[in-house]
Amino acid sequence: MPPLSFDLIALQLFTGLALGAIYVLFAIGLSLIFGMLTVVNFAHGAFYMVGAYVGLFLLSLGGNFWLCLLAVPLIVGTCGLIVERFLIRPLYGRGIDYPLLLTFGLSYVMVELIRIAFGKSGYPFDTPEILQGAVNIGVGYFPLYRLFVIGIAAAVLLGLWLFLERTSFGLIIRAGARDPQIVRVLGVNLSRIWLFVFGIGSGIAGLAGLLAAPLQGVIPEMGATILAEAFVVTVVGGMGSIGGAVIAGLLVGVVVSMTSLFAPEMAKVSIFALMAIVLLIRPQGFFGRAGLMS
Amino acid sequence: MTTLTGISSKVILRTSGVSKTFGKFVALNNISAEFSRDAITSIIGPNGAGKSTYFNLLSGAFPPSSGKVEFEGRDVTNVAQHEFAHMGIAKSFQITNVFPLLTTRENVRVGLQAFVSRYEIWRPRAKLPGLVDKADELLALVGLWDRRERLAKELAHGEQRALEIGMALAANPRLLLLDEPTAGMSPEETRVMMDLIVKLARERTVILVEHKMKLVMGISDRVLVLHHGELLAEGTPTEVRQNEQVKRVYLGQREH
Amino acid sequence: MNELSQTLTQPVVASAAWFEFAKRHRAFLASTVVLVFPLVMPFTALAVNILIYGLYAVGFNLLFGYLGLLSFGHAALFGTGAYLCGIAIVHFAWPWYAATAMGILGGAVMAAGIGALAIRTRGIYFAMVTMALSQCVFYLFYQAINWTGGENGLRGINVRTIDIFGLQFDFINPLTRYYVIAAFVILALFALSRILASPFGAVIEAVRENEARARASGYNVTLTRLITFILSGAFCGLAGALMALHLSVVPIEILHIETSGMVVMMSLLGGMGTFFGPFVGAAVFLLLENLVSLWTVHWQLIVGAVFVICVLFFPAGIWGTILKRINP
Repeated sequence: MPPLSFDLIALQLFTGLALGAIYVLFAIGLSLIFGMLTVVNFAHGAFYMVGAYVGLFLLSLGGNFWLCLLAVPLIVGTCGLIVERFLIRPLYGRGIDYPLLLTFGLSYVMVELIRIAFGKSGYPFDTPEILQGAVNIGVGYFPLYRLFVIGIAAAVLLGLWLFLERTSFGLIIRAGARDPQIVRVLGVNLSRIWLFVFGIGSGIAGLAGLLAAPLQGVIPEMGATILAEAFVVTVVGGMGSIGGAVIAGLLVGVVVSMTSLFAPEMAKVSIFALMAIVLLIRPQGFFGRAGLMS
Repeated sequence: MTTLTGISSKVILRTSGVSKTFGKFVALNNISAEFSRDAITSIIGPNGAGKSTYFNLLSGAFPPSSGKVEFEGRDVTNVAQHEFAHMGIAKSFQITNVFPLLTTRENVRVGLQAFVSRYEIWRPRAKLPGLVDKADELLALVGLWDRRERLAKELAHGEQRALEIGMALAANPRLLLLDEPTAGMSPEETRVMMDLIVKLARERTVILVEHKMKLVMGISDRVLVLHHGELLAEGTPTEVRQNEQVKRVYLGQREH
Repeated sequence: MNELSQTLTQPVVASAAWFEFAKRHRAFLASTVVLVFPLVMPFTALAVNILIYGLYAVGFNLLFGYLGLLSFGHAALFGTGAYLCGIAIVHFAWPWYAATAMGILGGAVMAAGIGALAIRTRGIYFAMVTMALSQCVFYLFYQAINWTGGENGLRGINVRTIDIFGLQFDFINPLTRYYVIAAFVILALFALSRILASPFGAVIEAVRENEARARASGYNVTLTRLITFILSGAFCGLAGALMALHLSVVPIEILHIETSGMVVMMSLLGGMGTFFGPFVGAAVFLLLENLVSLWTVHWQLIVGAVFVICVLFFPAGIWGTILKRINP
């Protein structure tokens, strides 16, 4: 074991933030969808996985990574639109468990379809050439790609924030998350907004999968593990709160990377311990369920 | 000592300076009031006056943000909801709240069972003595005996409200709390319900929240008027009716 | 008009009487099915699997179907039952009955632990928290290699004969093995039927039907949920222990998320909240898996699709839909 220096800890902290950035992207989609539709999307992990495979496929066709960054969220988001429109919409009003069960069954189907198309074993996913290598960030050399992941996550968050705060469509979404009744009374077609929100959420999940691919490789089961971990993020942050998802996502990332530095055998279990503590002290999570962005 | 004086005292329920805030919104501001034993007290007020919030504090659905609630001299401010029935306080909800997929009789039988057996997992419940007979007795009292085999969800709205009162009576309460017991009822159903309330009040204390002022004036011993989360007036129906402030904020806006 | 309505109601009354009879003797009827079941199955090993997964689903259904709480972490209860039974035999050389009791206890204790945390949350969180906690349990068992064999699973649970009351049963013979396991499942079914008919069974229904009303009626809803979760854990622990005896190994996959998801699927396919539905669901799920596997390795595609269709169009499940037809 290398001697523990301040620099090493700081570097590990950045590693945790990069990991956390993936969690954040994954969890905000989950939170956005829950906040609006009160649907817990168990297929969110599957969308994440599909995002990575779509990236892999586009690259094999000769596309480049930058194109993927644009195309993957669009393609996965479109899948999300279709799923909401034809599978989830018939279930509204039937109780909160049914969409959950449906998306769970759907994730089985999606994973198996990917296995049919790409095989059961995983693939490596090369870091794009321009993002290879490391840069000095003051405390030491840090992989450029991880820095890039943090940057993209920040950009997506900023974009989402501007969209929700500054556009009239975003205003309707925020109002709808607080009180669907009012929005309906105002004559807004809520079902179209729900459709759209589901699309955005799945699109961001797809993007998260693509960004995670060079770090972890690509396998059909990659969505199941992160789903359980994202539930930890959601419970810690508070369901339906985007602010909570961001803070808790980064926290979970940092906790994982710090425990893998100090007590590697505890790394996997640590975040569940974190969740247990939060449940004991504050069962509703850091930010409760007070509505979107608040 | 306090319990002893509490039970014999004329005051059954007391709130001292209770307030309730939801975020920044003050739903109820510093209300102190006493409720007499063996009387019918009505809490009235226009929409948004804080009646339901007050009712929820009295019935233990949630604790106040500040202040104290006492029942028979005992501080019950932070007592869990399920303990209330065991202390002798029962309630009916504003929005009908029954067990929809159970039969009418089973609804009441479950209510009775809470005082006999809650966590036994081995003895057949059919062997608990007397519960079904007692349930039928209560159903007869609230006028639902001939509907006893029906599922609760199949009952008419007025019948479901009556069933709820039957379930509340299963606790054999000393204090019965009713939240708008006639909400959504036809005039005929309303009349039957008011008669029932008067009948029940002969043997126990009744506190009811009501939106329609006219309805309760005839049967109440005391009336509390809430407005904007404050206690506006308190007294006998005649006193309240003559109160200038009440006339202004309540009667002035016409009944709907 | 009156006569017409009378003739219309007549058959319903008759079938209601039949229905009442069936309900009263549900454990007996279910046992009969369990006893003749292996004779109609293509091979006995499949029948044993259906039996054990059916019991696992019955335990899950107590929580999901009867109480209305959706857990996505039941693999932790099933798996703990299997591992503790296996560890008792492999590491401590306990007799099979003590090891089985250990499995039941393990499932119940694990349920108490997970339940105590998960029940602090409300509604939809429950599914998420149970799933996350069972993932945690997976890692804990995975890392305790000295006890559990880690990735390779726990091997060497060799039980050759089962002695009950001085009688010796050959556990190697598939059919005897089936009936030994069936004896446990039948006992469990009678126990479940008894619990459902008890005063607490009525409380479970009341809490499912209306939480606020149950509370106002004087029932501690949180405690009721915890107790039901623990009972559910005991049934699943027994199923796990039987699985360990049956397989003579405990594969680590028993704690995978898929094992939690599978029992959700089985319960819903069969019919949640019905006594026999979970068995029907387990049978349909495993038969489908075996059948589809004959022509494609991608059986999960078919099973997943069937499940999605079931959620969309037959939320009452196969058995639930049949019961509705008989007794509308």
